[in-house]
Amino acid sequence: MKARILVVDDDEALAEMIGIVLRNDGFEPVFCADGAQALDVFRSSRPDLVLLDLMLPGMDGIEVCRQVRAESDVPIVMLTAKSDTSDVVRGLESGADDYVPKPFKPAELVARVRARLRPGDQKAPETLRIADITIDVAGHTVSRGSDRISLTPLEFDLLVALARKPWQVFTRELLLEQVWGYRHAADTRLVNVHVQRLRSKIEQDPEAPEVVLTVRGVGYKAGV
Amino acid sequence: MVSATKQGSDPAAQDGGPDRSLAASGEAPEAGAPLNGSDKERQPGLAESTPPGMPHMVFRARIWQRRALIVALRVVRLVRTGVVRFLPGLRYLGRALQKRWRRSLQFRTVLTTLMLAMTSFAVVGAYLSNQIANNLFQERLTQAESETRYNVKQVQDTFDGAQVTDQSSVITLVSDTLSAVEGRGSVIQRRYVFEAMPNQTKPRNRWVESRASDQLTVSVIPPDLRKAVQESGKEQFWASTVIPVGTEDRPGIAVGNKVTFNGTVYELYLIYDLNTAQQTLNEIQSVLWAGGAVLVLLIGAVAWYVTRNVVSPVSHAAMVSEKLAAGQLQERMVVRGEDEVARLGASFNHMAASLQEQITQLATLSQMQQRFVSDVSHELRTPLTTVRMAAEVLYDARDDFDPINKRSAELLYNQVERFQSLLSDLLEISRFDAGVAVLDAEPEDLLHVISHVIEGAAPVAAEYGSDIVFAAPEGSMVVEMDARRIDRILRNLILNAVEHGEGKPVTVTVAANETAVGVSVRDHGIGMDPAEAARVFDRFWRADPARARTTGGSGLGLSIAMEDTKLHHGWLQAWGRKGSGANFRLTLPLRQDGAITESPVQLEPRDVTIPGAPGNIPAEQDNKNMLVLQTDAAKPAPSRGPEETP
Repeated sequence: MKARILVVDDDEALAEMIGIVLRNDGFEPVFCADGAQALDVFRSSRPDLVLLDLMLPGMDGIEVCRQVRAESDVPIVMLTAKSDTSDVVRGLESGADDYVPKPFKPAELVARVRARLRPGDQKAPETLRIADITIDVAGHTVSRGSDRISLTPLEFDLLVALARKPWQVFTRELLLEQVWGYRHAADTRLVNVHVQRLRSKIEQDPEAPEVVLTVRGVGYKAGV
Repeated sequence: MVSATKQGSDPAAQDGGPDRSLAASGEAPEAGAPLNGSDKERQPGLAESTPPGMPHMVFRARIWQRRALIVALRVVRLVRTGVVRFLPGLRYLGRALQKRWRRSLQFRTVLTTLMLAMTSFAVVGAYLSNQIANNLFQERLTQAESETRYNVKQVQDTFDGAQVTDQSSVITLVSDTLSAVEGRGSVIQRRYVFEAMPNQTKPRNRWVESRASDQLTVSVIPPDLRKAVQESGKEQFWASTVIPVGTEDRPGIAVGNKVTFNGTVYELYLIYDLNTAQQTLNEIQSVLWAGGAVLVLLIGAVAWYVTRNVVSPVSHAAMVSEKLAAGQLQERMVVRGEDEVARLGASFNHMAASLQEQITQLATLSQMQQRFVSDVSHELRTPLTTVRMAAEVLYDARDDFDPINKRSAELLYNQVERFQSLLSDLLEISRFDAGVAVLDAEPEDLLHVISHVIEGAAPVAAEYGSDIVFAAPEGSMVVEMDARRIDRILRNLILNAVEHGEGKPVTVTVAANETAVGVSVRDHGIGMDPAEAARVFDRFWRADPARARTTGGSGLGLSIAMEDTKLHHGWLQAWGRKGSGANFRLTLPLRQDGAITESPVQLEPRDVTIPGAPGNIPAEQDNKNMLVLQTDAAKPAPSRGPEETP
C-alpha cells in the first residue's frame, strides 16, 4: 500500500516538484496550497504524513501544525526556509516531528519522510518501566498508574529508546540517529525541543524531571 | 612659669623705663598662662621644690598622682573594650563615610566648609581668649602693684613709728598691722606672707620670725621671686603663683618687697587672688565656645543649603543620564526657571531627544533589514529548492540522455549547488550584518567537534591526496560554544587548508590553558605573504584571482568564520609565508563570560625558517615530531625538497 503524503505548500512549482519526487519513490502525494484549507484537506485525505511549509497564505504553518497535532498523532515534517533558531524551535514546539531546511535535495526529503514513516514494525510484546511510568511497547501505550498518557509516535519512540537502556546516557547525536534516523549528526535542537515536549506530557513536574533526566554536558537518560 | 620682673619702687624708675614696661608686657602672655588652667600641672613641681616644712603639699601631690594613674588606667580599659566591641561598626562607619566622601559632592563640600570654619574659629578664638586673658591679668597686676606699694609703705610707716619694746606688744603690733593689710571688712582683699630674711644677724629683740594669712605658708612664694626680693634693695617684684583657698587652689599674683622692723629685714609678700579674673575669663571663653559652635553649625547649614541647591540639579542630571544609558530613552530632566541649571536641563533634554530619535531610527532600520533578509531568504529559497530538485532529478537520469543533454544536466546540477552555497553564505553574512545572529552556547567537547569535521573533510582531502593530521591531547576539552558555528569555522579552515595545501599534510593542533583553547590549522602549500594574510578575512577576497578554483567556494567562508568567532568573543588569526604554507589559529575562551589572556597555540609555526635558507623543515608529522625538530633547529638540518624554497 502506498503511503499517502499531504504536501501543504503555496508554491505550486515546488509542490509539483515534490510530488514528482515522492511519486518517483512510491508515495502518493496530496496537495493543499492554502493554510486555511489545510485542516479540511487533512481530514478528508487522512494522510500518513504531512509535509508542511511554514510560510503559508491564509493560515500560518505553525498554526496549521498546532491544529493538526491537536486532532492527530500523524507525523509532521516542516519545510522551512528559515534556519533561524527561533522559527525552527517554534515549529517544533507547535508539534512538528522533524524539519527539512530549504533548499533540500530530493534524497534528503525522501529520507526524512521514510524515517518518519517507518512501519509500525511488529514489535514484540514488551513492557518497560521508568520511574512511575509503564510503557506497553506492542500496544503503543504509556500510562502512569491507571492514567493513559497520549504521546505522538515520535515521543513514544524517544521514550522507548531511553527506557530500553536505562543504564545508558544518550548523547543528543545518538538520539538523533536512533529516533530520527539521521546518519550524520544534525540539529540537536530537535532533541531538546522534543525532550521538553515529552517531559511536559509525562513528568509530574516538568521543572524537576524524574522520568527523563538531563546529564549536563552529555545528554539524557531514563530515570530509575 | 615663674617670672619675676623688676619693678622699681621709686616712681621715677617706673615712669621712665620703656625697657621695663616692655619686659613686663613681654612676660605677660607667659604669666597669663597659668590662668588658663595649667595650675594643676604646676602643683607637683612646686611640691617637689617645697622645703620639708610643707609635707601636706607632697602628700597631696602623691594623691593626685595616684588619682591620675587610676583615671588613666580606666580610660585605657574603656578605650580598649570600646575598640574591641565597636571596631566592626566603626570600620563600617569609616568605610561608609569614605564612600560618601568619594561619591557625594555635597557631603564633601559641607564637610570641608565645616573643617575650615572650625579651624578659623579655633585660631580666632585662641587669639581673642589670649588677648582677653592678657588684658585681665595686666589690669589686675597693675592694680596689685600699686596696692602693694601703698600697703608696704603703710606697714613700713607703722613699724617705723612704733614705740614698742616688749615681746607681746611687738607680736600684737605685727599681727594687727598685717591684719590691716588683709583688708577691711569680711572680704579678704589680699593675703600676705611675712618672713624674716634669712642669713642676717639676729638682734635680741627679734620676736617675730614669720607670719602668714590663713592656709598660707612661705612655700607658695616662688623661689625665684624670693631670691629677687632678697637680693635687691627696696624694689618690688611679682610672680604668678597658686594659692590654696578653702579646698581649692586658685591662681594668684604674689608681689614682694622688704620692710624693716627693729633692725630686722623682713620679706613681705602680698598675694592677690585672681579667681574673679579667672571666672570672668572662663565666662568669656564659654561664650566664645558657644558662639563659635553656633556659628560653625550655621555655616555648615548654609553650606549644605547652597551646595544642595547647586548639586541637586547636577545629581538629578547624573541620575537621568544613567537611566538613559541603561536604555530608558524616554527619561528627561525636570526644567524649572531660566538659570544655568535650567539651561543645562533644557540642552540635556534636547540631546536625549535626538539620541532617542537616532536610536529608534537605527532600531527600525535594523528591524527592516532583518525582515528583508528573512523575506529574501524565503523568497529565494523556495524557487531554488524547486530548481535544485529538478536539477537532481535530471542529473540522476543523465545516463539516459544524449551527450549534450547529459553534460548540460551535469553543469546545471553543479552550478545549482554552487549557487545554493553562495546564497546561503550571503544570507549568513547579512544575518551577521543585521545583528540578528545569536550565540547558542553550550558546554561541549571541542575534540569531538574537530574529529567530526576532520571525518567530514576526509573525502575532499583524499581527492587532493593530502593527509589531515590531528595533534590533540587525550581525553576531552569542554568549551562553552555554539557547536554548529564552531563546526562551520573549522570545516572552513580545514577545507581551505586542504584546497591550498598542494597535496601536503594538513596539521590540526589543539591545546588549552586556563582561560582559552586554541586550534591551529597548518598547511604547507603555496602560502601567502603577510599583506595577503591581513586581507584573507575580507569578503570575496581572493589571493590570486587568476587561480583556478575547483571547490567553488563563495569567497565568504573566512568572513563568516571571522563573524562566528567574534560572536564567541574569540580570536581568528592567519599567518602565512610564500612557499612555507599558511597557519590559521582559532582561539576561544573556555567560558563565554571569560576573557582570553593568551592563545595556547602558536600562530607562527615553529617549523619555519627563512625561505631559501638551508634547514627548511618538511611537514611535521605530529606534535612530538615538531618538538624534536624544534630542539634540532640550531643544527643545520639536511635540506629537503626544493619545493620548500620559492
